[in-house]
Amino acid sequence: MSEGPAPLSRLTAELSQLPGIGRRTAQRLAFHILRSDESDARSLAEAIVEVKEKVGLCEVCFNLAEGPRCRICEDPSREVSLICVVEEPADVIPIERTHEYRGLYHVLGGALSPIDGIDAEDLRIAELRRRVEGGGILEVILATNPTTTGEATASHIADLIREQTQVTRLAAGLPVGADLEHADEVTLGRAMAGRSNV
Amino acid sequence: MNRLDMSRTFKTEAVVLRTIRYGEADRILHLYTREHGRLGAIAKGVRKPRSRFGGRLEPFFRLALVLHRSRGDLHTVTSAETIEGYPRLRASGTGIAAAADACGGVLRLLDGVDEPNQPAYNLLCRYLELVDADPAGPATTGAGMVAFRLKLALAAGFAPELSGCARCGATDHMTAFSGAAGGVVCPTCEAGSFPFSAEAHTFMVQALGRPMADLLPGDTAAVRQAGRAIGETLEHHAHVRLPRPEGRLAA
Ligand SMILES: [Zn+2]
Ligand SMILES: [Zn+2]
Repeated sequence: MSEGPAPLSRLTAELSQLPGIGRRTAQRLAFHILRSDESDARSLAEAIVEVKEKVGLCEVCFNLAEGPRCRICEDPSREVSLICVVEEPADVIPIERTHEYRGLYHVLGGALSPIDGIDAEDLRIAELRRRVEGGGILEVILATNPTTTGEATASHIADLIREQTQVTRLAAGLPVGADLEHADEVTLGRAMAGRSNV
Repeated sequence: MNRLDMSRTFKTEAVVLRTIRYGEADRILHLYTREHGRLGAIAKGVRKPRSRFGGRLEPFFRLALVLHRSRGDLHTVTSAETIEGYPRLRASGTGIAAAADACGGVLRLLDGVDEPNQPAYNLLCRYLELVDADPAGPATTGAGMVAFRLKLALAAGFAPELSGCARCGATDHMTAFSGAAGGVVCPTCEAGSFPFSAEAHTFMVQALGRPMADLLPGDTAAVRQAGRAIGETLEHHAHVRLPRPEGRLAA
């Protein structure tokens, strides 16, 4: 099967490795890059190289960082007695956007999923434990996803550290602005179980 | 006119074995269906907070689904209703581990089998029900997990030979088990086998013969041998290597 010039096939093949990009989308993107200005293409290539060279993981919380520590861990105004535990670095962004949270984070690097062979040792759970055992932590907020794997991870961590500190879980319930009649029974059940005094 | 061609939509009942995040907000579901065996489906937008699927399209849910048939391997979920959500199972680490082990077994042992296997489907639903009824009960022990796997092997057509030597047919002194032979073996045929106790033999026979709910507890050594026996049988005959539930007994 002819795919055109070899460099174009190579670019298509590389792009199709990206999540959510199929063969046809990859081809469209490759043609787009081919047609674009030389400077645009170079800038894209440089951005890819730069991100790999300069962005690593924070040595404390495993969030993305441009140096040994991330901006949040470096920020002296953050509340160091609070740790919010999330699955992925991308989960930090929406929580920061709420402006409701001023503590630190801990990024696990995924969630427990025995069926995919992801066990506790594959996540940064031991590192979290060490942070808690280091003392001075008043609360650990478990903000893993409200999915089967996220809940399993939260309950595993809670069992490990509840002796040493207060452990809380992000509330689950109805999306703000939605109609009750459209809520599914799982979400509504969680909302009912987690109801609070007003 | 309906946007969907009705002839390409179909109803099925299924257990969600595993989910994989896909793209921006979609999820790929590995399903075990009552009517069609193993199927894959994509649930679009399910990871958005206001998805109409809500929290249903998660591992271990038993669902009534409407799927839209596609030309490729992945059908599209058009509607989903919960038959069983197994909330107690889901709230327990032990429950989730046992359910994941059972679903992993179905996923690998019946992979690529798009024909219905009603006994396997019923067995899986029954097992999830028992785990949900008591996540710290017999179903989630090593014995319960090994018994499930034995019954699953039977449903998939890979039950080990337990009545006589799997190599020569002799019926006395079955003291060893051979995965390659696919059953118990006598002393003359025991090359490549491992020692197999009378208790392990009894455990396997009763696990295969009794309903999941009436399972008799086996001693640890017997359950471990039974787990190894079924594991090696599946490796040789079904060419799948599953995590060994009997490993949990060591802990
Ligand atoms: Zn940090
Ligand atoms: Zn023999």
